[in-house]
Amino acid sequence: MQEQLRPGCGILPAAAPLANPYVPFQQYDPNTYGAKTGLVRGTLFPGLDLPFLGMVNRDEKPDTPMHELQALHFAIAELGLYLDTHPEDTQATELFREYAELYKTGYARYEQTYGPLCQKDAAQSGRYTWTQGPWPWEYKQED
Amino acid sequence: MFVYEKKLQYPVKIANPNPKLASIIISQYGGPDGELGASLRYLSQRYSMPFPELQGLLTDIGSEELGHLEMVGAIIHQLTRKLSDEQIQTPGFAQYFVDHTAGVYPTAASGFPFSAASIAVKGDPIADLTEDLAAEQKARVTYDNILRLSDDPDVNDVIKFLREREIVHFQRFGEAIQNLRERLNQKNVYAMNPAFDR
Repeated sequence: MQEQLRPGCGILPAAAPLANPYVPFQQYDPNTYGAKTGLVRGTLFPGLDLPFLGMVNRDEKPDTPMHELQALHFAIAELGLYLDTHPEDTQATELFREYAELYKTGYARYEQTYGPLCQKDAAQSGRYTWTQGPWPWEYKQED
Repeated sequence: MFVYEKKLQYPVKIANPNPKLASIIISQYGGPDGELGASLRYLSQRYSMPFPELQGLLTDIGSEELGHLEMVGAIIHQLTRKLSDEQIQTPGFAQYFVDHTAGVYPTAASGFPFSAASIAVKGDPIADLTEDLAAEQKARVTYDNILRLSDDPDVNDVIKFLREREIVHFQRFGEAIQNLRERLNQKNVYAMNPAFDR
């Protein structure tokens, strides 16, 4: 494993073809926020957390079943993009697997209480409930 | 294929309608560096990408952008709820209102409707991935500018999230270019187009 750099620094090739764009590769096994912090920061990686004019979402979302699902799904998507370019990172792969497990459980629990998230689950209660609102874009004070 | 999941990627809960702000933020729905263009750009570039890892990354980022399109649509919708007669007269919004009422239509803030001319699919992986780097930067700056123009904390909470995603996507596209380059002729990476020449 390579030497640990500062979180905001990556690896560039020592010699590389001219006339090409270069972005440093994010180092393997990077530090990560927890899923709930990652969600409000917009990234799971402190090294990529680069806010504008000091504007930062400091507070995590209140603990609700939907926010929990959103945080877990976000962690999976974020680690997924990382793994798309770092498929050999075994620690990130393990973290991805753990979040995917938690998401699966949380997803089933959410659907039991609040109704289907996906059309294929829309008749689990014996009634077809897919079209019952509210839809996600509608304003909801609570959820 | 795509399957709809009944949730937003990130919560959008805007307490106060604000048509003026909606008429600015609409640019990230259908403007030149908006989320509709982003999703179409990446999902269309996939077909000519030469390696499965690159096809995968474009699929994943393109799909995420569709989720962002939905979030920006939700912001516009919530900012234009239950408008008063006075609110629909808001300069900048009245011109939108006359054509679209409180519907969500893909247009730039300038009024120019969504145009595929603002995206590119060149069919050459270095060219397309370099376009993607620029696209993420331009979207990031648009969100910077929205943060300058908006003082609504409910809106800015979401905009900060969307802005940060542009930075992460930039990083991944940069890594994808490195991944691609390592498979090309190191003496001349431009010796052929790996999406076309055999």
